[in-house]
This record gives sequence, structure tokens and C-alpha cells, in this order.
Amino acid sequence: MQKIKDILKEFSTEYIEDYKKIWIKSKLTTSDSLLSVAKALKEEGLRSLSTVSPTDFPDTDTIEMNYFFEDLQTKRNLWLKCDIPREIEKCEIASLTPLFASANWHEREAFSMFGVRFLNHPDLRPIIASEDFKGKAPFRRDFDWDAHEKDTMIHMKMIVDAFKEEQENNEINLDADSSEMVLNWGPTHPASGPIRLRIHTDGEEIISVDPDIGYVWRALEHLVTKKDFIGAIVAVERLCFMDNINSMVGYSMAVEEIAGTEITPFAKWMRVLLGEVARVSSHVMGLGGFFNNLGLHTLFMWNMDMREFFLDFLESYSGARIATAAIEPGGVRYGLDMTMFDELQKAIEKFDEGIDEVYTIFVQNPTMKMRAKQVGQLSADDIEDFGLSGIVARGSGVKTDIRMDEPYAAYDEVDMEYITQKDGTSYDRFVMLFEELKQSVNIIRQAKKHIEDGVASGAFNPTKDHMVKVPKKLPKGEAISRVEWARGEVLMHLVTQEKSSKPYRLKLRAPSFNHTMMLDHLLKDKTLSDVPLVFGSLYICQGDLDR
Amino acid sequence: MDTLIQAFVFPGLLYILLWTVGLFWFFRKFMAKLHKRVGPHYNGPAGTYQTLFDFSKLLTKESITPHGVNPYLFSMMPLLALITAMLPAAFIPWTEDYPVVVTSYGLLALVVLIGIEPFLLFLTGFGSENKYSFLGGIRVLAQSISMETAFLLSALSPALLFGTMNLTEIVEQSTWLSFLILFPGFVVYFIALLGLLEQPPFNIPDAEQEIVYGFYTEYSGTNYFLLKMAAFAEFMAVFGTATTLFLGGHYGIFFDGYIFFFVKMLMVAIVMMTIRAATPRITLKQMLSFSWRYLVPISLLNVAWVMVAKVFFFGSI
Amino acid sequence: MLKILDFFNYAQSESLWMAHFCTGCCSLEMAAAMGPRYDWERYGYLPTPTPRQADVLMITGLVSKKILPALLRTYAQMPEPKYVVALGACSFDGGPYNDSLSVIKNPTEILPADVFIAGCPPKPEAIIEGLEQIKQKIKNKIPSAASQGGLWKEMDF
Repeated sequence: MQKIKDILKEFSTEYIEDYKKIWIKSKLTTSDSLLSVAKALKEEGLRSLSTVSPTDFPDTDTIEMNYFFEDLQTKRNLWLKCDIPREIEKCEIASLTPLFASANWHEREAFSMFGVRFLNHPDLRPIIASEDFKGKAPFRRDFDWDAHEKDTMIHMKMIVDAFKEEQENNEINLDADSSEMVLNWGPTHPASGPIRLRIHTDGEEIISVDPDIGYVWRALEHLVTKKDFIGAIVAVERLCFMDNINSMVGYSMAVEEIAGTEITPFAKWMRVLLGEVARVSSHVMGLGGFFNNLGLHTLFMWNMDMREFFLDFLESYSGARIATAAIEPGGVRYGLDMTMFDELQKAIEKFDEGIDEVYTIFVQNPTMKMRAKQVGQLSADDIEDFGLSGIVARGSGVKTDIRMDEPYAAYDEVDMEYITQKDGTSYDRFVMLFEELKQSVNIIRQAKKHIEDGVASGAFNPTKDHMVKVPKKLPKGEAISRVEWARGEVLMHLVTQEKSSKPYRLKLRAPSFNHTMMLDHLLKDKTLSDVPLVFGSLYICQGDLDR
Repeated sequence: MDTLIQAFVFPGLLYILLWTVGLFWFFRKFMAKLHKRVGPHYNGPAGTYQTLFDFSKLLTKESITPHGVNPYLFSMMPLLALITAMLPAAFIPWTEDYPVVVTSYGLLALVVLIGIEPFLLFLTGFGSENKYSFLGGIRVLAQSISMETAFLLSALSPALLFGTMNLTEIVEQSTWLSFLILFPGFVVYFIALLGLLEQPPFNIPDAEQEIVYGFYTEYSGTNYFLLKMAAFAEFMAVFGTATTLFLGGHYGIFFDGYIFFFVKMLMVAIVMMTIRAATPRITLKQMLSFSWRYLVPISLLNVAWVMVAKVFFFGSI
Repeated sequence: MLKILDFFNYAQSESLWMAHFCTGCCSLEMAAAMGPRYDWERYGYLPTPTPRQADVLMITGLVSKKILPALLRTYAQMPEPKYVVALGACSFDGGPYNDSLSVIKNPTEILPADVFIAGCPPKPEAIIEGLEQIKQKIKNKIPSAASQGGLWKEMDF
């Protein structure tokens, strides 16, 4: 930590301060030195750039750039800020893409949402935002949404025209004598979901893959600024429905940090319990989806059967199977009736019953091994360069897991270990999913036992302890929180204004964004048959890809 | 009159229609059991009417001919594919009174007719003016070329053993001993059959997750129904050939009859479905290397083994 | 003759195949409806890989501006007779994304739906019940809503 501070001291900074346990927060006085600071930091070991998050301040006429650097080896993190002018013409900053490969898409996102131009960026095209927002900055505070909304039909036409033009031009530039062609893999495709991969192929061989994303762009980061602090969880939860609990935990932690609230131990354990239940329900779908993409639906069906029992618990607790809205700032929304644990017990028994069968038939499946061990290899260097996280990172042997790196909720009391695989192939990621599934159920057992013991000894009052009051209006401040989501690290950067009842800015850094970036890297020179396999093994959810 | 009955009732159109409806229902129900589901349930007893409704519906749906395709090629191919797939039924000795076409080269006719089918499917994909269909068509071609060698060699092993290509004679001469001798050939035949019928792990040509639905992609309504029926008629031809060549045809335990032929075909189908429920798809490259590196050499070895066994057990060539 | 037509009409109603197209999160519950506990194949529903063989198009939740052309194109590719089911609150009025920049608030004005299924996301039982209503609609020979009107006819996609 001290070394990072020493490096920062060489440049002119407004402040350098400690933030949380493993973070340093600093602000550069000028954006000119960003590139040289980043270079020095990279040499020091901060090799991953988590995300780039601009915040718009029309009052001071600045856009504040936030960079989150991470060191996955020694767990040192840096939150670096700098101001840039707000006028569209002068709104420029040096691109970090030459140093940090992961900056590529994150800078494109900042460009299309805030109009920040990144100098020397290799490929500064708009991303996520649909065609009608081209040249506009939809996330800036002064963006007139109502005026924009009036021309919806014209915008639709723009989108259609742009798509048609692209289709017409697709193959014009290709050599007429070769067998090269452009395949649109998605969005109407049995395995793709709402994403489109423009695949340049030569027969079966893939030349390059260019993902076109944004088909489920809901502008969640903008949506939360129109809701109050409680209402915002509706948006945050819909980051991805497969594991919605953990994203709500992350948001609630950020709000609690600004409000200065400490939640009760009971609520902490409930967050662990519910979070792991959601993780299980997401992982079983991931396992099934992996085999679905290989053309085998049996595992998916078996896992859906298992998943229903975990959803039963969520339903008995919150009244909803998926959209639970069960976590809110201050704790968890509902008290606990101890009879609800019967449902959970049933789910765990169902899991124990079926998991061995899944292991012998599917995890050890020779055909799957033969295919998956050959493709999708990511080295540990790739993981750090591209800022990958979750099962993808751990599948390549990088020990990173926010639940242990920076324990939140009650994870510091949970008995768990890093699970890693060595090779980083698609097969390793599949095994990671399976092993983490078992780990999650183990954590559920621990949390369940802890809560039961606590209630029996009178330490917890399950009907009253679940909530602490959080004020409706928060002071001015900003906070970041990280959670280990089912797909990897979710970083939330929350900014509030003085006595405001709404979030001023919420940046959601979602893992699938980085993982999708890898598709071109992984699929180059492979065959068309490997597309669904690699796509499935990266465990991508389009919900958090587009946000 | 006899010819009409043979053409339209058994083993002709009606029989194949019933087989298509029945087998599709059986496949769905059987897969559902392996998926821990119920499958079709509410339409008729145990959902038996379900596939009848499905196919009737396809007949009444709009048949779209996409813009830009050659309409003759596009609409002719499904019909041609169906007719070609139905023809082998005339050569299979269902009971003692059959085959319909009595010839001493029945085996050759079967192998040739089964072998033509993939080329017609390739043409359906080629005629669809769709990239995915075209890729599917190319894959059918690649797969059938590499699988048919093993298919042909293993299908010829009974002919070598019994010294005849007349299917009726092959069935009459088959015994438990010949079943054992031909068993390696049957295994090779079965694997090649999976490849020819595009069943997992060789369902590469219509791999949903990769190329949407292969050559089926642009077909709708009646045309799709014809293609689907052609696929099921092809199932029947290949299962029927397996039963005739390796499993002793209509010969049963206490009495002989068509019922045994049917049960034997169903047994082959059940093994195929079980493999379908437990094996993921392999890639085109892996299929090619598997076929040419292992399956074809093994089928050659099998031919040698049949000859050796013939000399050893039957004492003559 | 009438009897035969009635039979085909009945067959149509009892065999509904879905186009495999998801626009939003409700497709998760669609997957659950396929799963062992709810198993919509009992009623004869089946997902198909291509729209060419489908009878029903599911608008699974939100429709963003970018995916609307794809949705309409998928609808146009389906053979007649075809029906549309709108899942979830988003496909009715934008639901939780009503304030969002990029979500179309009235997708069913553009592509009218025959059945709305409430919920966010709707439960699998509700999805099956909604599809049963489509069956009733076909049995009563009511033409599909999208064939009667909607902005999609005026749009060039």
C-alpha cells in the first residue's frame, strides 16, 4: 500500500487517503498526468482496470473521471479520480487501452453515455446505446429525455436503417472469390439470447468475432437516478434476474456506507443466506446452459427441477420466486418465520440427492471433456489484463473472490476457501461452476445453522432484527461497494448530493461486460462449433452485459 | 389391387405415416422420462394424439417460400426426399410374405437408397438461400461421406457371411451363432447409423445451438412436415435394415411374426434415444477424425473377422 | 367437410409451438415452465429453433428500441396463423422500466398481443394458463389481434 502512495506522491494530487481496508483513494489535479500515473501503477502491480466511471457535475462544469485499479495478487486497490472539462469539444482524456486491455469497452461505454472522448483509443465506436443516441450523451444530467422521447418513430427508423445498411455492406468488402462470409449469430438464435455476434467465417473457420450488444439496454444507471433510495433497488435487482440478491446487497452496502448505518448481525447472516440461495439458483442454470449449448438438454432439465426447490424458499420468504426485492438499505426486507427453513431443508436434501448423479454423468462426461478441454483457454495474464473475475478468473488459477478479499455481510465469519482450477479452459470453468455450487450449499448450511443457533440462544430476534432504519435523505457523499456476484465482481459506485432523496449517480460495473470482450480473443481461428461452447462457458448474462 | 395396398397401406404411405406419428410420440415421451418430465399428457391417452395434432397442424399452416430462392428446387426437394426415404420399405422383408420387390440384390438396393438421402438433404439446404441452411447442407454432405463408408462395409458383412445379397435368405439363414459373429459389425453399423440419421453425438448438421436448424431452417408448414416425415421414414429404413441384417428379422422366440420385427426396431430406437439423452454433440472435425481414423479401419477389420469366422465356423468361403 | 376443418382447427389449437426468441428477463420463467415441475409439453407446447415453424411469438418482457426491429422481423417470418403472447408488466406499459431511456413503453400497440400475462416475471403457472387462453381463442376461431391492426403494419423493418 505504501508503495502505491509513494508513486502517487510523485505526481501532483489533491489528496491521497486510505479508504476502507484495501483501498486508496486519490485525486489527480490534472488529467494530463493520468497516462504516466497509470504506467507507474501498472509496473507496481496494479494490472487490472476494473472500470471507468464518469460522473457529471454541471454546477462546477466538470466531469469527474473515476478509475478503479485492482491488483488481484496482493489485493491492493486504488480509486483514482481526475476532473476534465464538460464542454463536448474539450471533453477529452487520454485512453488507457494501450496499457490496460480491459479499458477498451469501458471507455467506449463512457464515450457513448457521457460523450467523453478518449485520445488514442484504437476503436472508439459507440457501444450499448442504440443508434438514436449517437452523438448525444444520454447519461449527462442536462440530457432532455422528454424531448428525445417525442421522436421515437423517427428513431426506430434510424435503427432499422442503420441495421439494413450494415447488412448490405457486410459482404461488399469481402473477396468475391473466397468463401468468406458474415454470420449474424443472434438475436433470434436458439442459443444466443439478446446479443448479436457478427462472425466473420471462412466456411467453418472463424476469422473474427465482433459482438454487437445493447439489445436489452434498459439504462439502469440512469433509471436509478429517477427513483428514491428504496425504489432504486427495483432497478438494481434487475441487473440480472438469475442472481438478483447479491446485486441488491451491493447497492444496499453503498447506501448504508453513506448513511453511516450499521446493520444487525442477523441481517448480515440473512444476506449471506439469501445471496447464496440466489447464487445456487444461478449456478444450476449455468451448468444446464453449458450443456444446452452442446445440444444436450438433460442436465438443464434436471437442474431446473433442483432449482425450483431453492426458489420455493425464496418464495416463502419474500412472496416472489425471482423478483424478490428482499434486500434493502438497512438490512433485509422481511422478518424470518423459522418454519420457512423447512423449505430450505427440503431444497438442500434435494440437492444432496441429485448432485452425485450430476457429477458422474455430466462433469465426467468424456465427450464433453474432449471438446471443452481444447477451447476457450485463458491464461492468468489474460485474466489480469482484461479484468476478468468470478468463475472465469478462478478457472485460470487466479485467487480472487470478493467474499474473502474484502468480506462483506457476514462472510468474514463463514468458513470457506478459494476454489481454483489450473488450466483455464472451458472445461475448467464448468468444473468451477460445479465446485462452487457445492461450496454455496455448504455456506447455506453454515448460515442456516448459525441463524438457528442464534435464534435458539436468543441472540437474534428474527421478527425484529431484520431492519435498521436508514434516513430517507442522505448526506452528500460517495461510496463504492464490491460484491462477489454469481458471474463475478460487481462494483457499485454511488454518488449522492446533499439532502437528496435520489441517487445522483450509480455506476454498475458488471462482469459479463468484460467476459464478452474476450469472445474475439477466444474464438479466433476456432470453428463455428466452438461458438456456443465458449459462449456458454463464459457464463454471460445479457442482462448485466447491457444494463 | 395388391399393388395399391402395398403402395398406400403396408408398407407404403399409411404405414409410414403411422410410424412417423407413433415414433415421434414415443421419442418425446421417452425423452421426457429421461428428463424427469411427463411429456405429452393431456391430448388422448398418455398424450398419444399429440403428435397427430402436431402434424395435422403443420399441414394447415402457411408454407412460406422465401424471397429469392428457386421455388421449384425449394418445394420439390422435401417431396423427393420423402419418396426416396420411403422406397427402402419395399425391399425390407417385414414378414415371410414380403419384401414387396423380390430381388436377389435387396441389400444393395437398401444401401444405395439410404445413401442417396443425404444428397437430397444437401440440396434442400443449398436451395434455401440461407447461410445457416447452406452450412447445414455442407455438414450433411461431409458427415454422410465419412459415415457411409463404415455403414456400407458393416452392412455388407452379413452378405459376406451368408454369401448372398438376398435379404430373405439372409433372414432365413441367421442363427444365434451368426448373430454373435456379426455382433462387431452390428456395433459399427449402429455408430454409422447415428451419423447417417444425424443423431447425437453426430447431430452436427442440424445443430440448433450452432447453425439454428441446419437445412430445416427455412422450411415451414407442409414442406417442413414432408421433411420431418422423410427423416422418420429414414429412421424406419435404417432400423429395418439393422433388424433384417443383424437381428434376425421377424423370427421370434415362440412364434414368428411382424411383432418381433417391430419390437427389434424399437429396441434399436431405445438405445439411440438413451444415447441422445446422455451425450453432447461433437464437432465436425472430431467427427471426421473419428470416422476416418477409427470407424473405417474397424469396419475393415470387421470384414476380415467375418471372413475368418466364416472359414472357421462354416468351413468354406 | 366441416368436420374435417373442425378437426384441423382443433389440431391447430392443441399444438402450439413457440418461436425461440427472448427480449427480456421473463424468458427465465419460460425456461422454468419448460422444466420438470411445470412441464408445458404436457399441454403440447414445444419450443422450435426457428420462427419458420412457430405458431406463437412470446414477447418475453421488456422490448428495447434496438430489439424491436428483430422482434417484428421474427414475427414477419412466422407462417400464418400466428399469435402473440405478451409476458410481464414490461410488455404492457414498460413496467419497472417505464422511466427508462431505451425501453419501448407500448410494444403491444406496435405488435398487438392476443393474451397478456401479468407479473414481473409471471409465474410458470400463469404462462401456461395464458397459453391455454390462446387455445380457446383458436377453438372459437377468433382471428389474432396482430392481424387486426397495430402499428407494425406501417413500419418498415
